[in-house]
Amino acid sequence: MSAVEGESDGHQCLDIAKDCDTAKLLSEPVTVTIGATVPTGFEHTAAEEVKEKIGADARISKDRGRIYFEITTENLPRVHHLKSVDNLFVVVQEYTNYQFKDTKEETLEDFQKLASKLPWTNPLEVWKQNNSLKKKRWRRRGGNAARAKASTGSSKDGVDAVTTETENLQLESGTPGGGSGEPGGLPARDSDTLGELGDKDVDEQEEEGTDRLLKFRVTCNRAGDKHSFTSNEAARDFGGAVQDHFLWKPDMTKFDIEVLLNIHNSEVVIGIALTEESLHRRNITHFGPTTLRSTLAYGMLRLCKPQVSDVIIDPMCGSGAIPLEGAIEWQHSFYMAGDNNDMAVSRTVNNISHIQKKRQDKGSTAWGLPIDTLQWDLCSLPMRTGSVDIIITDMPFGKRMGSRKKNWDLYPSCLKEMARVCRPGSGKAVLLTQDKKCFAKAVSQMGGLWRKAHTVWVNIGGLHAGVYLLKRTGATYGMTPEDIREPREANETAGETKEHA
Amino acid sequence: MKLLTHNMLTSHVKGVTKGYPLLIKATEVKVSEVEFNPQFVIRMIPKLEWPSLVQAAAGLGYLNDLPSDLVPDYENNEEFLRKVHRVLLEVEVLEGCLQCPESGREFPISRGIPNMLLNEDEV
Repeated sequence: MSAVEGESDGHQCLDIAKDCDTAKLLSEPVTVTIGATVPTGFEHTAAEEVKEKIGADARISKDRGRIYFEITTENLPRVHHLKSVDNLFVVVQEYTNYQFKDTKEETLEDFQKLASKLPWTNPLEVWKQNNSLKKKRWRRRGGNAARAKASTGSSKDGVDAVTTETENLQLESGTPGGGSGEPGGLPARDSDTLGELGDKDVDEQEEEGTDRLLKFRVTCNRAGDKHSFTSNEAARDFGGAVQDHFLWKPDMTKFDIEVLLNIHNSEVVIGIALTEESLHRRNITHFGPTTLRSTLAYGMLRLCKPQVSDVIIDPMCGSGAIPLEGAIEWQHSFYMAGDNNDMAVSRTVNNISHIQKKRQDKGSTAWGLPIDTLQWDLCSLPMRTGSVDIIITDMPFGKRMGSRKKNWDLYPSCLKEMARVCRPGSGKAVLLTQDKKCFAKAVSQMGGLWRKAHTVWVNIGGLHAGVYLLKRTGATYGMTPEDIREPREANETAGETKEHA
Repeated sequence: MKLLTHNMLTSHVKGVTKGYPLLIKATEVKVSEVEFNPQFVIRMIPKLEWPSLVQAAAGLGYLNDLPSDLVPDYENNEEFLRKVHRVLLEVEVLEGCLQCPESGREFPISRGIPNMLLNEDEV
């Protein structure tokens, strides 16, 4: 196959797609299944948000960290505004119990046969409409490396970490000629056009896209130990067949379309990516050493259900991810972001200013957010007793920040100070920590002031952590044995105080 | 620092029993618009120390006729609620300091951030 033929084939292929497009616009909007990756542990929170904002019932996949829901294409813009999802894709086909063949060769042959049998039409239609909606990623040099890093980050299944692979497909060797996009025989002006296109945005390319081949790549994520093949082999063979079927051109970095092949034990899902960059990168421009993902911050905030006029503090705000997410999504509450570190408060102020500037640029007159930044010591908060409704924070794990040893002193003393500033009877705290043992001990010592209501287990960069929802008891601060005696002695009397609380 | 934050802040210097309200000494004040939500103001008022809010607003020159006593039936008084909204969320102290009324200890405010950290001998 010569490159010039390839080009004209691509032309035809797109014309057909365009015809389908016109037909679709005239007829009913299509219904498709959307898949979303979410912070592990917050699948139910994400499902709740989908129900609330789109009205769809989401299924939670046994592959933890994923949800699926049906939408009609007219709801596509709303999907991009979900706050609890990281990456989005449209499902082409889903096999809940895929029968893998015994040998690697047969299995891979099946993958090759699969490409032409899949119902691509609707998903491709969604992908097209999505191009004008999705947030564009700034195209950098070395985009491949950045991309690979991003996809590793999003495969959060820590259980099968050893057998989970995220590898990229390299098709060049297997398909000489077909992959070449710089055919020597083209007239000079066409080459110029191609050169220009390279510098433009994807959607602009789309406009003029009939003149060129679509570029694609296949990304395979595999988890499970009973597979005879690697993710790389699956991506290679499936990708080759996709290429033959559509006559698209493989390109690892400047691809227009990313086909996903997700294999988790016997579950196989084929999808098309709808996000270029995880949606969790939305508010924070000034990152710190342990900045929390905005999607996780959203999940934590949802757990404590902010009410109108709630005073919400993050006593260890770091880069301000949690209070900032709150101030944007629940503007009817008031947020105070504090930290003892100079760099942290400075980053928080910069992140807030950046968002306010963006709101101002968008033409909003009331662009100010209900949030303030302070520098304070969390064990000695400069707040009136009982003045805070919700305390929400990402506590030091003692790994990247602080130390396990320090946590044994820090946790009881900060829980005590939090109890002082928190409103008795109605106050809440949502605290994220990986140091579960130390935290459990500290909470049990504070039994008269805090009651554990609910725990969500999450996976943060491979660390198993807990998000604890605590409720402030009705006990007045200063009246329980916990805050009069030293915390360690208070252990025996904890049961007693629970009764009077 | 917004005046709502100021209303919640207290001096926590060791030995101080009457550390509230902190005295504002401002050298730079800014007003930036925040979306008005009457429900927010109505439900925030009971959580406030009203006299300190009035005192703080007056000290900065943004009293704007706010009465020293809460008006009755403020829930239905939009003009009043808008005035409260303004002093709570829109008036911001960018530079200056907060002073503890008892010990005289000053807490600097820079870029709108009050630095409430204490020295070791003050905790």
